[in-house]
Amino acid sequence: MVTGVGDVAMGGAQTEAGPARPAPGGGTRREMLRGLIAPALALALTPVVVASRSTDTGAADDGGSGGGAFDETYHGRRIQGTPVPGARAYDPEQWQVTVDGRPLHLMRRADGTWLSVVDHYGSYATPLEAARAAVDALGPGEQLREREMAHGGHGGHGGHHHTGGDHGVHA
Amino acid sequence: MAYTRKDVSTLTAAERRRFVNAMLEVKRRGEYDEFVRTHIEFYTSDGENGLRTAHMAPSFLPWHRRFLLELERALRRVDDSVTVPYWDWTRDRTATSVPWTKDLLGGNGRRSDQQVMTGPFAYAEGRWTIREGVTDGRFLTRDLGRARDPIELPTRSELDGALNDAVYDVSPWDSTVTRGFRNRLEGWGTGRGSASWRNHNRVHRWVGGAMLGGASVNDPVFWLHHAFVDLQWTRWQRLHRGARYLPEEPPGLGSMQHGRIIARHEKMPPWDVTPRELEDVSGIYRYV
Repeated sequence: MVTGVGDVAMGGAQTEAGPARPAPGGGTRREMLRGLIAPALALALTPVVVASRSTDTGAADDGGSGGGAFDETYHGRRIQGTPVPGARAYDPEQWQVTVDGRPLHLMRRADGTWLSVVDHYGSYATPLEAARAAVDALGPGEQLREREMAHGGHGGHGGHHHTGGDHGVHA
Repeated sequence: MAYTRKDVSTLTAAERRRFVNAMLEVKRRGEYDEFVRTHIEFYTSDGENGLRTAHMAPSFLPWHRRFLLELERALRRVDDSVTVPYWDWTRDRTATSVPWTKDLLGGNGRRSDQQVMTGPFAYAEGRWTIREGVTDGRFLTRDLGRARDPIELPTRSELDGALNDAVYDVSPWDSTVTRGFRNRLEGWGTGRGSASWRNHNRVHRWVGGAMLGGASVNDPVFWLHHAFVDLQWTRWQRLHRGARYLPEEPPGLGSMQHGRIIARHEKMPPWDVTPRELEDVSGIYRYV
């Protein structure tokens, strides 16, 4: 009755999962923490959003569900987002969003809302709200990875196509 | 001979120790990080094209059931007395109750950086370094109850609301459906903010830190949470005799969901197994 349930190895169970990624050096991380904790705490006491439209994105509010490009400081983090015209009719709107310059992978829900890789169990009305929620979810001093994780690769999400069995290689 | 999965609050001191040691050994062997990667990889959202198997889809339950079985097999290769315990979050509801004790999963993250400082999975113990996170953090993080803007764990009555739905899932089989046991349990509610976070999703949010992101598997509570979710599927089957996984047949060519969800008799990536084959696991394990 349950034959087959237990017979198959995990997909991509190879132990050689690609070259080792450079680990953040302890000193570097501590320096980064020292640099970020103080302003983050200061802002937490006065949660004022300092919005400043970037002059170099050149994107006006597009009136779409996600609104226009944004570039603001939120709780001491710089969050930037730009809509990218989608290649596929199904997904006319994709966004490039960064937190402190590092890519924040956003996904779209069927109801049009957005969720991010650091906040996967809820969603937000706009990419800006999702980016702010991602900042809220990050611990003080915690940064996104320099490179995005291989993510949703089996869903055919743009830019993350994989070959079978090549799970999780993102070096 | 089927083995048992127990309520984590009932484990003896020896059972706790053996479970923890098996987890640490699976991590040491490099097998654990593969589970983290798989979970990240298979998170496909329903507003995007492509096959959804793990979330926002009917196969949320069988996918995680199989995922648990894989972890459990890895644990039992280390120590064949070990099974995955479940955390009944309708009963053990505080940041100091099980499983947040020093002899199990350790406690809350500290305020300054959400770092878990107690128990066997604390970074300083040297045996639980995060390597497959969505952030650059190397240590396990938690924010139990969300200090900044507190939320509660789901209640028994909220869970009963899911269990009392006699239909497994309904079209369009995604995160927007407001009926059906699967999404009521998975927990994509309507509206904004806290009110829209239900059951399974809400528990991920209550734990916070690593559990909130795509790499939620990095917190060992992931398995205790999903064992309890898995138990609900078994309870639901007992409550609604004859009720089955749906859909029975794949959505047709003209459907928006064509090729994007797994029907009852279809193979469910990354495994060579169908939801039908996972509906009855009484020959493998049972909950006590």
